[in-house]
Amino acid sequence: MRNHKMMFVPILMSFIAVLFFAANLQAGEVYKLALSLAITGPTSDAGNPYAKGVEDYFRFVNDTKMLGDDRIECTIRDDQYKTDVTKRNFEDFLDQGIVLYLNYSTGSTMGLKRDFEEEKIAVIPASFHAGNLVDSNYIFLPIASYSEQTIGLAEYVANNHKGDKPKVALFVHPSAFGRGPVEDVEKAAKAGLNIEVVEVVEHGQDLDNTAMLKRLKSKGVQYVISQTVQSPVATMLKDAARLGYTAKTFGEAGKITFMGAHYTGGNDLIALAGAAAENFFWTTSYKLTSEKSAGADAQLALAARYGRDEKAANSHNYTNGIMVAQVATEVIKRVKKQGLKVNRKTLYDELNQMNGAKAFQPDTTVGPVTYSKTDHAGVDTLQLYRVDGGVFRSVGTPFLCEYIKKI
Amino acid sequence: MSANRWLATGNYFTTYKEEQRIFLTHTDRLIFSFFLVCVFVWPLVFETNNKSMLVVDNILIAMIAVLGLNLVTGFAGLISIGHAAFVGVGAYTVASVSRVMGDDYILLTHAWPAMILASGLVGAVFGAMVGLPAFRLKHLYLAIATLSFQMIFQWTINFMEFFNQGQTIFVGRIFWLNGEVGRNEHYIFWYYVILIILVLLGFMVRNLLRTRFGRCLIAVRDNDRAADAMGMHPGLTKVYAFGLAGFFAGIAGALHAYLYRGVGIESFTLHESITYLAMAIVGGLGTLNGSFWGPAAIKMLELQVEKIAEHAGDMMPASMNLATALRPLTFGLVIVLFLMFEPRGIANWWRIIRSYFKLWPFRY
Repeated sequence: MRNHKMMFVPILMSFIAVLFFAANLQAGEVYKLALSLAITGPTSDAGNPYAKGVEDYFRFVNDTKMLGDDRIECTIRDDQYKTDVTKRNFEDFLDQGIVLYLNYSTGSTMGLKRDFEEEKIAVIPASFHAGNLVDSNYIFLPIASYSEQTIGLAEYVANNHKGDKPKVALFVHPSAFGRGPVEDVEKAAKAGLNIEVVEVVEHGQDLDNTAMLKRLKSKGVQYVISQTVQSPVATMLKDAARLGYTAKTFGEAGKITFMGAHYTGGNDLIALAGAAAENFFWTTSYKLTSEKSAGADAQLALAARYGRDEKAANSHNYTNGIMVAQVATEVIKRVKKQGLKVNRKTLYDELNQMNGAKAFQPDTTVGPVTYSKTDHAGVDTLQLYRVDGGVFRSVGTPFLCEYIKKI
Repeated sequence: MSANRWLATGNYFTTYKEEQRIFLTHTDRLIFSFFLVCVFVWPLVFETNNKSMLVVDNILIAMIAVLGLNLVTGFAGLISIGHAAFVGVGAYTVASVSRVMGDDYILLTHAWPAMILASGLVGAVFGAMVGLPAFRLKHLYLAIATLSFQMIFQWTINFMEFFNQGQTIFVGRIFWLNGEVGRNEHYIFWYYVILIILVLLGFMVRNLLRTRFGRCLIAVRDNDRAADAMGMHPGLTKVYAFGLAGFFAGIAGALHAYLYRGVGIESFTLHESITYLAMAIVGGLGTLNGSFWGPAAIKMLELQVEKIAEHAGDMMPASMNLATALRPLTFGLVIVLFLMFEPRGIANWWRIIRSYFKLWPFRY
């Protein structure tokens, strides 16, 4: 009897050990990713839905077992739009053993460029600044750069303006984020793009743009292309509407047509500017929920699944976050499919092969995501939208910026 | 002076020299030496990571900057609202060399101690220049002069192409005796460099306060007319106080540039100046050890508030943006509470604790 009892203990222990190891085997791999962004502080109005997009999509990947038993663990941390804090977060993430990093602001992406190179880690930021790609091998822009967007708008002006050479003013944020495309637009004009850049306005924190608008009007400016965030654009649009300067249709004679790149538009702009946002032209590479599409439906379903409010669900920055998470998931999936170990190197190599037949087509963008050794801008295609009846509606079909190759 | 050099329960001095000693008792010296050994040894004993070392390095740099601010505001009684700009001057001195000669220029990578010293000197020159209005201005008017320097500094950096319009200017990896200081040892290496500089500067301030130059600062703060009548030059004293503060700030700026391996304007804004002022107030204006307590307390508070704000951001609706307000609110509250209930700062708590042990077992 005593012998039987003594036998029972080791058998039970062995059984528990087998169960433990079996459970561990079934648990699969955990791929650590991280995102540092402004959830509070400046630009948190964009950062907040962006973070939700990333969080929700990775939850969806894990919940639906998109990667089988493997899981993605993405730590999201607030950096208050401060490079020092981003650096601290990044160091922490490295200690945790991340294989791919998602960053946010232009300043921190530029500031940490050297660290990314040294660590040989692929980075997908929310900043589309072309300068991110200078002297850098590991930064991958999700969509066309601000320069491409701004030149793309200028091309649209040049192609659709009736009359003499159109006079354009650039309204930009007083930082690298805003200034980045200015030189490129001027280069494009020199390279033959049929526009005249009359003035570049770096806005401050003005609450009234009357003087600026009157000055632009007196100089004969017909188009204002903005590369900034929504609130200064909203202020400008409201003042223009009050002064009666806003064009009702594209290029209306004697009036000003207002246009802007990715971070100038979206539902937040309409909420801020109200009726003054009507006929504002905006470009981005993302599909919007204001227009029926499979991507929009999937986005709204994802938001509903994780209990997001309507504002977040319809934000183009929520789309932005989802898309970045989609790219990250896709590249992990592809590395796994090849039977390779998911690490920094294999992910980086795989991202560089995301072109041609291997281009990735997420349902959230208007074109495919393509990366190569020489091209680190993801979606090259842009879509023009226009505010019509309080919502953004597509204008024409997606297009490519031509002059970016000529400058 | 008490006959027992180890335990002195009261302040009995028979000569002026005795009162001016750096350590009043051997016990003080022993405790301080033990503390120094601890701060030098702990990274070798405990496992550290880059993130925590970065946080610690940052605190030490802030201590150096606040040492300077305490000289001008605490000891000389001149409010400076542009201290971050002086720190920025030091950082941009390093950045300028990087911009002109390249980020891996030998002066930056090999002669970095000289660069740090040079940054301090440039900071001192700018400090003295900004202090020049002190010949004519006092109190709030002088504070506004320092504020305008902060504004001019920010504008210059933000708009000048030479300074990369405020965007990061990189600084290359430095070299030490055993070659390039790589990524793995970067933060620990700078921990020791910053710590050594901090200890040296701390002793420098302690010694300064024992000299007539140090006493001049305090005399001018307490009553500049009386100081004038005693043969001191209040104007020059104020200028030299600003110069000294600029020197400390410049050193801190250069260390910041090397630690982060780059310089960007956002680390030297008005907000940072206010933060330095908050550190000095919370630590204890006009005290040497307050310059150490303040940065440590504020930086740790910052980390905790960050965590709370992050959770608050998750829970509260984005449109309310309450989490964004949490940080300035906490800082404001901490400063107000300290000004109301403990205007002498954490340094006073330290004084009370020391007095308790000094008097023990007596209560008075």
